[in-house]
Amino acid sequence: MTTPAIARPRRLQLVAYFALLPMAATALFAYLGTIFWSARISFSGSRTFPSYDFVGLAQYVRLFDNERWLLSLQNVFVYGALFIVATLVIGFLLAVFIDQKVMAEGMLRTVFLYPYAMSFVATGLIWQWILNPELGIQNVLHKLGFAGARFDWIVDQDMVIYTLVIATVWQASGLVMALLLSGLRGIDEEIWKAARIDGIPRWRVYVSIVLPMLGPSLSTAFVLLFVMVVKAYDAVVAMTQGGPGTASEVPAKFIMDYLFNRANVGLASAASMVLLATVLAIAAPLYFVRSRAARSGRES
Amino acid sequence: MSKAVLKGGVLALALALAAHAAMAQPPLKATVIHWWTSGGESAAIRQFADAFNKAGGQWVDNAIAGADQSRAITTNRIIGGNAPTAAQFNTSRQFRDFVQEGLLNNVDDVAIANHWDQVMPAAILDAIKFNGHFYAAPVDIHMPAWFFYSKPAFRKAGIAREPQSYEEFLDDLARLKAAGLVPLAFGGQVWQEKITFDAIFAMVGGPDLYLKVYRDRDQQALRSEAFRQVLVKFKRLKAFVDAGSPGRNWNDATAMVVSGRAGVQIMGDWAKGEFSSAGQVAGRDFGCFPGFGPHAPYVVAGDAFVFPVTESRDAVKAQKLLANVLTAPAAQVAFSARKGSIPIRLDVDDSSLDLCARLGLAIIKDKSRQLPNSEMLTTPDVNGELQDVLTKFWNKDQSPEDAQKAFARVMKG
Amino acid sequence: MLPLTEETDEAPRASADGVRSAAVSDTANGVRAAPVGTPLAVSALRSARSPARRSLAWTPARLGVYGFLLTAALFFLLPLYVMLVTSLKPMEEIHLGTLFALPLHATFEPWRQAWQSACTGLECNGIRAGFWNSVAIVVPSTVLSILVGAVNGYALSFWRPRGAGLLFGILMLGAFIPAQVMIYPLVRALAFIHLFSSLPGIVLIHTVFGMPVMTLLFRNYYASLPMELFKAARIDGGGFWRIFVELMLPMSTPVIVVAAIMQITGIWNDFLLGLVFADADHLPMTVQLNNIINTTTGERLYNVNMAATILTSMVPLTLYFISGRWFVRGIASGAVKG
Repeated sequence: MTTPAIARPRRLQLVAYFALLPMAATALFAYLGTIFWSARISFSGSRTFPSYDFVGLAQYVRLFDNERWLLSLQNVFVYGALFIVATLVIGFLLAVFIDQKVMAEGMLRTVFLYPYAMSFVATGLIWQWILNPELGIQNVLHKLGFAGARFDWIVDQDMVIYTLVIATVWQASGLVMALLLSGLRGIDEEIWKAARIDGIPRWRVYVSIVLPMLGPSLSTAFVLLFVMVVKAYDAVVAMTQGGPGTASEVPAKFIMDYLFNRANVGLASAASMVLLATVLAIAAPLYFVRSRAARSGRES
Repeated sequence: MSKAVLKGGVLALALALAAHAAMAQPPLKATVIHWWTSGGESAAIRQFADAFNKAGGQWVDNAIAGADQSRAITTNRIIGGNAPTAAQFNTSRQFRDFVQEGLLNNVDDVAIANHWDQVMPAAILDAIKFNGHFYAAPVDIHMPAWFFYSKPAFRKAGIAREPQSYEEFLDDLARLKAAGLVPLAFGGQVWQEKITFDAIFAMVGGPDLYLKVYRDRDQQALRSEAFRQVLVKFKRLKAFVDAGSPGRNWNDATAMVVSGRAGVQIMGDWAKGEFSSAGQVAGRDFGCFPGFGPHAPYVVAGDAFVFPVTESRDAVKAQKLLANVLTAPAAQVAFSARKGSIPIRLDVDDSSLDLCARLGLAIIKDKSRQLPNSEMLTTPDVNGELQDVLTKFWNKDQSPEDAQKAFARVMKG
Repeated sequence: MLPLTEETDEAPRASADGVRSAAVSDTANGVRAAPVGTPLAVSALRSARSPARRSLAWTPARLGVYGFLLTAALFFLLPLYVMLVTSLKPMEEIHLGTLFALPLHATFEPWRQAWQSACTGLECNGIRAGFWNSVAIVVPSTVLSILVGAVNGYALSFWRPRGAGLLFGILMLGAFIPAQVMIYPLVRALAFIHLFSSLPGIVLIHTVFGMPVMTLLFRNYYASLPMELFKAARIDGGGFWRIFVELMLPMSTPVIVVAAIMQITGIWNDFLLGLVFADADHLPMTVQLNNIINTTTGERLYNVNMAATILTSMVPLTLYFISGRWFVRGIASGAVKG
C-alpha cells in the first residue's frame, strides 16, 4: 500500500495520538517499566522479596552454570520450531478443507476448536494418561495383540519433548484454523472464479494466490504461536512436570519455579531477561525483513 | 407518671442496653489463606474453623489449592497491602524472609501462656522460633517417610513380617517382583524422588550423617564414603519401580497399593486418606511402618500459620485467638484424626487417631528419634537445587560419585 | 472458495482464448452471449448457473476431504472421550487404570458433585459459586480489550502517527513476558492507585494483558483492507472517529469474532490474574476449579475433576458453536464491488 497523498491536518494527527494513549501508557509503564524493573532486579540478590542491592552479574553467572536452564533453552527451541510448523500446517489444512462446503461444518469447527476452550490443567493430565505406556496407547496396542509395540515417549528422556508437541498442537490447531478460516472467507469469490476460468489448477491457486492473500492472517497466527511457545508452562506442568528428571524443562517453568517456589526473584529475573533477549534476537530480524517488504509496496 | 412506672422503665432500659452491649461484641474476623481443599482436608480444617467461631471469632476462608500457589498469593497480598489475618506455610525456612523483612507478628504471649516450649517437639520449636520469638502457630506434624504396604500383596509374596533392615527390605521387594507384582509403587515427580531419598538417607545413613549434611553442610561428610553409599543404596530402588512411574501422581501410586497391584509405597502419612476413602483400615488391609528397627528416626515435617503484620487492633486480637484455638488439645486431635497427621502437642488423648498415627505419636515422644526434614534445615532455593541433583541421578545413568560431587557443590552454597 | 473437487462441467477450462473471455464477461454479468444449444453454450450456461447450486459429486478428491477431516476429528476427540468416560466412572473403576473402557457402572454423581458439592476449601459448594463472578469479569474485560485493540489497530494501520510503530514493537515484546514476572510490579502499581483486589482492577489488568494480541489481530486485519476505502472516506470528509465507527467497525465482523473467541476463552480460563487481582467477592470460577482439581496432599477425585473441567469449558464452547453464523464469506469483499 502506498502512503496516502492526502496531507493530514495536524488536528487529526492529534486525535490519532490521543486515541493511542492507552496503548502508549501500557507499552511504556506496564511493559517497558516491567522490563527495566526486572533488569534492575536481575542484578540484585533478591530472594522472596525484591531487594535493591547490587551483586553484578552473579545471577547471570549462576544461570549459565545451571544445567537445567541450558536444557530448557534447548528444549524450547526444538519444541517451538516443531510446534509452530505443525500447528500452522494443520491449521491451514483444516481451514482449507472445512472451507469446501462440507456437511456439518459447524459441528466440525467446534470439534477442532474445543481443545482451546479447556483448561490445560485437566487436559494435560489426560494426555499424560493417554501417552503413558502402562495406561494408554501402548497398553491398548499390547492388548490388541501387538505385543512388541512401543509408544513410551513420555517416559523417555529423549522423546518426551515430542509428546509436548503432540498435546499442544492438539490444543492450538483449532485457533489457527479459526483465524485462517476467517481470512479465507474474506477473500473475494470473484478472484476464485476468474482463476478457475483461466484454467489454473486448484493447488496452484492455493499456493500462488490464496496463500499470499492470507499473509496477514498467517503472520498473526505465527506471532500468536510464538508467544505461546515462549510462555509454555501449563502444558509442561500438567503433563510431565518437567520430567522425567529435567528432560522436558522449559524456560517459563524454570522462571516460575525460582520466582515463587524457590524464593529467588533475582535469578528468575535474570532468566526472564535472557529469555526476552532471545526473543528479541529472533524477532527483530524477522520484523525488519517484513517491514522492508512492506515498504517496497507489497502487503504490510 | 407514677414513680413505679418510671423506675420500671429505667430498669427495662438499663437491661436492654446491657443486653445489647453484650451481644454487640462483634466476632473477631480472620481471613485465613491455606491450601487444604480436598474432601478430607476440608473436613479437617472445619474442626479449626468451628472451634474458632465458637470461641468468638469469624473464620473467613481463603482456600487456594497448590501449596506453591497459596504461598505466592500470600506474598502478593502482603505486598499489595491486603494481607490476610493468617496464612499457611510449612514448618520450614519458607517464611524466614518474611520475618527478616519484619512482615510478621509474633505470638509470644500465646506461646508462653500455653507452654509451647514444654509440649511441642524440639524440631517444631526450631522451625517456628527465630531470635527467641515465636513467629508461627504450628498445626500438624506430617512424617514424609512412612512405608505403606498391602497386606494381601505381602501374603502373596510370602513375606511374613515387616522388614527390620534395608537389606531385608530389598529382599522383600525382590520377592514381590518374583510374585508378579510391582514391588515399589512410585511416582516420578521431583518432590517424591526427594522424599524417598531423604527416607533412605535417614534410615540408612543415620541421623548423624543426615544432620551433618543438611544442617551443618559439612563438606567432609558430603564427600565421605558413607554418603556415597547412601546414594548407591537409593539408586538400588530403581530396579523395583515400573516403567510408567515418571510423572505419576502420588495418589495413583497409592491406588496401586490399595488395589494390591503393588507391594510398598514410601510416602507421607497423608497417604492414609486414599486408603480410608477406599474403605481400607490400617492393620487389617494395609500396614504401615516408619522405618527399620526400633530406633529408626522419625522425620518431622509440618504445617504452620503465620500472622502478617497488621494495623488493625481487632486483627491482632483475632490472630492471638487463632493461635490459641489452633494449638488447643481438643482441636488438635479432631484435626489430625481427619487429616492423617499427628498433633503438635505431646500431651493429648490419642484414642481417636488411627493405628499409624498412634504409633507416630508414641515415637515422637522419644526426643532422640526426632529428625527435622530437609526443608527445615535448608532454604527453598537450596532444597530445590538438591531436587534437581537427585532427579538427574535417579533418571539418568549418572555415577554416584558425580552425583555426590553435585550434591556437595549445592550444599557449599 | 475454490472446490478441490471436479466439477461436472469441464468446458470452461478447455475453451480457447476468445470464448474464455466471453465466458468471463458472461458470468460476471450473468448474461449469456453464445447461442443456445451449442455444447459450449450449454456448458457456459451451466457454469453461469453454478454459483448457486454446485453439483458436488462424490469424487475421490471429495472423499479425500472428508477422510482427512474425519481422521483429524478422531484425533481431536480422543481426549474428550477419555474425559467424558472418566467423568462417568466411580473412583474404584478409575483406579483399575482402564483408560479407554466404557464405564461399567456409569454415574452422574461426579457431575452433581462438581457443580454443587465438591470441596473447595472450607466450603463444599462446587464450582457454581464462581459462575457469575466469572461473567462479571469476562464481559467488561472482553468488551474493553476488543475496543482498545480495534482502535489501536485502526490507528496503527491507517493513520500511522510517528512513533506508533515503536510503541507497537514494545507492546509486542511485552507479550512475551510471562505473566508471573509482571505480577510484582503490577501489584505495587495497582495498590498505588487503590485498585488492587477489586473488580475494576482485574478488568484493567485483563485489558493490559490482552492489548498486544488484540492490537496485532486488528492491525493485521485492517492492513488487508484496501487503502482506497479509507482514502475515499477521508475525501468524503470523515474524521478519525467517524471513519472508525461508521466504516471500519461494521466491516470488522470476522476479526471481532476471532478476537472475542480468544479473549473470552483466555479470560474465562484465566486463573492466576483473577486470583491475584480480583477481590474475595469476585473470585472467578477458575479458582474453585483449581481448588477442586489441584491438591498437594489430599485425595484426587479424577471423575469430579473431569466433570468440573468440562462444565467450566461450557461457556467458551457454547460461544464457539454459536459463532458459526459469522464465519460466512463475503463480509469484507462486499464492500469492494462497485
